[in-house]
Amino acid sequence: MFEKVLIANRGEIALRVARACRELGVQSVAVYSTADAESAVVRFADEAVQIGPPAVGRSYLHIPSIIGAALKTGADALHPGYGFLSEDPYFAEICADEGITFIGPKPDVMEKVGDKATARQLMSAAGLPLLPGTVEPVNTLDEAHDISGEIGYPVIIKAVAGGGGRGMSVVHREEDLANLYQTTRATAQAVFKDSAVYIERYLETSRHTEIQLVCDSEGNGVYFGERDCSVQRRHQKLIEEAPSIHLNDDTRREVGEAAVRGALSVGYTGAGTMEFLLDLDGNLSFMEMNARIQVEHPVSELVTSVDLIQEQIRVAAGEKLSVTQDDVLPLHGHAIECRINAEDPDRDFAPAAGKLDVYVPPGGPWTRVDSHCYPGWTISPFYDSLIAKLIVWAPDRDRAIDRMQRALSEFQISGRGVKTTIPFHQRILDHPQFRSGDVTTDFVEQFMSEEAAAATAAG
Amino acid sequence: MPEPKKSESANQELVRAVWEEARDLIKRLEGSTVQRFSVEAGDTKIEIERGMPAGASMVAAPAAAMAMPAAEDGAAGEPELDGRHPIKAPLVGTYYGAPQPGAPQFVQVGDSVEEGQTLAIVEAMKLMNQVQADRAGKISEILASDGDWVEFEQVLIYLEAAE
Repeated sequence: MFEKVLIANRGEIALRVARACRELGVQSVAVYSTADAESAVVRFADEAVQIGPPAVGRSYLHIPSIIGAALKTGADALHPGYGFLSEDPYFAEICADEGITFIGPKPDVMEKVGDKATARQLMSAAGLPLLPGTVEPVNTLDEAHDISGEIGYPVIIKAVAGGGGRGMSVVHREEDLANLYQTTRATAQAVFKDSAVYIERYLETSRHTEIQLVCDSEGNGVYFGERDCSVQRRHQKLIEEAPSIHLNDDTRREVGEAAVRGALSVGYTGAGTMEFLLDLDGNLSFMEMNARIQVEHPVSELVTSVDLIQEQIRVAAGEKLSVTQDDVLPLHGHAIECRINAEDPDRDFAPAAGKLDVYVPPGGPWTRVDSHCYPGWTISPFYDSLIAKLIVWAPDRDRAIDRMQRALSEFQISGRGVKTTIPFHQRILDHPQFRSGDVTTDFVEQFMSEEAAAATAAG
Repeated sequence: MPEPKKSESANQELVRAVWEEARDLIKRLEGSTVQRFSVEAGDTKIEIERGMPAGASMVAAPAAAMAMPAAEDGAAGEPELDGRHPIKAPLVGTYYGAPQPGAPQFVQVGDSVEEGQTLAIVEAMKLMNQVQADRAGKISEILASDGDWVEFEQVLIYLEAAE
């Protein structure tokens, strides 16, 4: 096992990783910008190094400063969390060059699965189902026309290097193709420094279903069931749950095994997620692989009783997975996570950051709050707006929803200029369609137009 | 279901992307003397002109590409104890008081220095970052030694006002 792990991140995930280290008996090192000097992880970790000013380009994304902090403290491993440098193969390579174990897949594997077109080819070869579309980048407008005609509209154009819901456009009619093809490429170039795109069939209504897996370096892989993340707004997830009520045991096993097979076929090690779309007929199609721990990992932890961050650290240290597939299945109970963001749902989710004068998280049975916040902490405009992840567990979905409503009603957050997504979550949880579980990725949009229409009628 | 406005949303995304790029640049340019820049992609272009913050001294533009002024907030505003002015590390790295091993130190306690004079080097991943005086003065204390690991904004040297 490692002696000392440097956490190259901030916010709740940095604290989450530091907690896992403490339980494993491993020393932790926090790195922080001047804006985060008073952050919870700086207080909690065994050591802390100030790495730069608030701007991420000179702190959390500044590789020399992070490597410098690791060398300064003698850390033998580095956990990248999510976002920032977590999926940067170049960074993983530098860590290796400096003799620091990067907690994640090997740089070349990360590069392969991070390229969406390559990932599609590899996973298709491993037997994962794909939507009709290209496995090679589409390099000319003529080609785009031919392919889209073949697949049939609507199609979706996606940046090969894309992620986080960025760099994709839905094309409903052929006459819009030329414009959207050019714009998507330009966006991809601007955001991801790579203009390559591919095209696939666009499903109007589908559910976002993802398989969590962890592979060790001895060729063992375990899938930890799936998560349903269909409650999203503009591709940003708001509510996640595990398991999906739309997968039966046979399908879960089939797709889980295929996902592990696909990951092992490329030499994947560490924690990763395979994203699928689930259509209304129950067919799954592979979308992409995320080579990192994800924000919503706690719901999988609660239905499998496995600490995924600890597993991630263990396998990076060269140890075997501590659990087998049989230990993990069947999934037990139901877990739901709500992302509480400092955003104003009534003003198009505009950031509403500020100092938290009041911060009282909920407690009680089977209620977990992953958060770096405390009374007096300031949600900084420099970083993302996540205040807390509220996660509950119950024996079944109905009772998990009831418990989440109870927990949300307990959560007190206020401060000058601060707004949260709590009321929005409460209204979604109250909606009969959410309660029924019949939710697809367009649910939030419909829900918001329904609310807007009701407000107009009432006004 | 209403037909979504496709091209509009794609353009919005492009504008957002360009804006984020610009915003990132603005943050990265904190403390620098760059006053105007533009970012463009496709037909979308954002031009930014920055005012200099009130009271910020015009730190001499570093001559070499790798030279960095001492960490920004040392220059303006901070109350100084006993008239001593801190020179802080511009980034995380290894401190060196001399240009190379065996060479004489850049400065000694008691030396008078000019604004812009190199006082030390902080090495990060084999890049030598010069630490320069952001004002003239006399070296009153050197807190770091060759080979020390230093953090961002760690005080390396104190200057006192020259007579």
